[in-house]
Amino acid sequence: MRTLGTRVWGVCLVVAVAMIAVTSAKLDRGESRTDSWDLLYLPNGRYLAVASLGQRQVLADFIYLWAIQYYGHYDISNRYEHLDRIFREVITELDPRYFDPYWIGALIMTTETKDLERALALLDKGFVANPDQWLLPYLAGWECYHARRLDLAAGYFEKAIRVPGAPAVIRRAYAAMYEKKGDRAVSIAAWAAIESDPSVDERGHQIARRHLDSLRVEQDIETLQQAIARYAAKHGANPGSLEALVRDGALPSVPVDSDGRPYGYDRRTGKVAPASTHVLEAR
Amino acid sequence: MTNSPTGAIALNTFREAVRDRVLYLLMFFALAWISSARVVALMTVGSEAKIVKDLGLAAIELVGVLIAVLIGVGLVFKEIEKRTVHVLLARPIHRWQFLLGKYLGLAAVVSLNTLVMTACLHLLLATHGEADFSLLPAIGLLWIEQLVMISVALLFSSFSSPILSSVFTLSVFVMGHLSWSLRLLERRMTTTAGRLLCETLYWLLPNLERLNLKAEAVHRVPIPSVQIVLAAAYGIAWSVLLVALAAAVFSRRDFT
Repeated sequence: MRTLGTRVWGVCLVVAVAMIAVTSAKLDRGESRTDSWDLLYLPNGRYLAVASLGQRQVLADFIYLWAIQYYGHYDISNRYEHLDRIFREVITELDPRYFDPYWIGALIMTTETKDLERALALLDKGFVANPDQWLLPYLAGWECYHARRLDLAAGYFEKAIRVPGAPAVIRRAYAAMYEKKGDRAVSIAAWAAIESDPSVDERGHQIARRHLDSLRVEQDIETLQQAIARYAAKHGANPGSLEALVRDGALPSVPVDSDGRPYGYDRRTGKVAPASTHVLEAR
Repeated sequence: MTNSPTGAIALNTFREAVRDRVLYLLMFFALAWISSARVVALMTVGSEAKIVKDLGLAAIELVGVLIAVLIGVGLVFKEIEKRTVHVLLARPIHRWQFLLGKYLGLAAVVSLNTLVMTACLHLLLATHGEADFSLLPAIGLLWIEQLVMISVALLFSSFSSPILSSVFTLSVFVMGHLSWSLRLLERRMTTTAGRLLCETLYWLLPNLERLNLKAEAVHRVPIPSVQIVLAAAYGIAWSVLLVALAAAVFSRRDFT
């Protein structure tokens, strides 16, 4: 009798193990995660914070860790559906001073979902909660630059500059942004400030000088072209030389470039060229 | 101190607790928790030190509270169940001295546990060049929170069974971390009676969130010394109040 009982139990054991293996394999196949529905009911971080009973930082850590793994899971085709909510409404609500989720979340948004607006909203929120972190507006500035939104980019770099302890290199980005968007006056002022700042290293000074030279040449040529146009309108012909503009009162003096060389002038076309081009053409 | 009845009871409570396997299980769990933080931190992008600190502080708080609850609720009940309380109280000893001794004995256990875990956390951080002593004020307040929880456990243990005491004490822990929300509820109440009820409940419960400065410590947000001192005084005052209440309840109990 005892032997029969043992056999029955033995059969039950084998059947049970086989059933577990088969059902588990079938369930695993069925669980191929191709949607993000499991995130639909994740509550807002403000409510999770209440439920965490004083452990909101640990909860933020775990959801951030999970997010890092989740967004690297390429099998889930629509994994980015709740990206903004996870980073902006859950993790950063649980721990607003948690710095990394702001920039990591923004990077995922700009590189994977190409959603600049939401990335900027996340970085803006991060900067409000962490006004000592210059990296957040700095990163926002570069993202705007890549999207060719130069006005916004310049504004973000300006915010980053104002953070105490921000590296001097951000001032170059700020000056370059105004240069690219064609605001020459602000750009010249910004590059000049870098050039005259003794705390900036020699390489920084050289870069600033190069940009200043280029901008001043542009400005001089623009001034000369305007004076030539005024002269031509008055006399019905281009001036014989740039000095004729001074004699005519169209200019107080003839500008020269930063090396002291005169600008090239073609009387026939009325066009002014940088000194370097003029010298090369003469050779 | 051991010459006084309170000291002798405290020493015996301490000895009894350190022989308890539950304590070692919890301490092992806590140390494993803190040590695993380094492994967990490997899975993140940036913030490794933050995760280690967060997990370490959570371990110190939660394991300390568990020790306070699991050992604290049995402190008085065991003496009554084993009838040793009759032998003890037959001696020239006040009931409040008995209770205070129990409290101090368990407080010593919790303090030792906090010290060991703090040392472990700082060692873990120091081995990676991230030692951060700015966590100490937050850990100090977590220790005071554990003292409050011992007092709560002792109060319930003085008149209830261990299972009920565990449930009640853990409920106080939960409510203590949510009591601030009573103020929010009060603002939404339309009736005076409702507002009065919320206000009364708020003052009747310890606000354990006042002892929670973990976020500030981890993010190195400067914490004014006044705030730390006031929070510590608040916690100690609650602990004293609860031990006094427990002594009052215990002194009225009839063991015959």
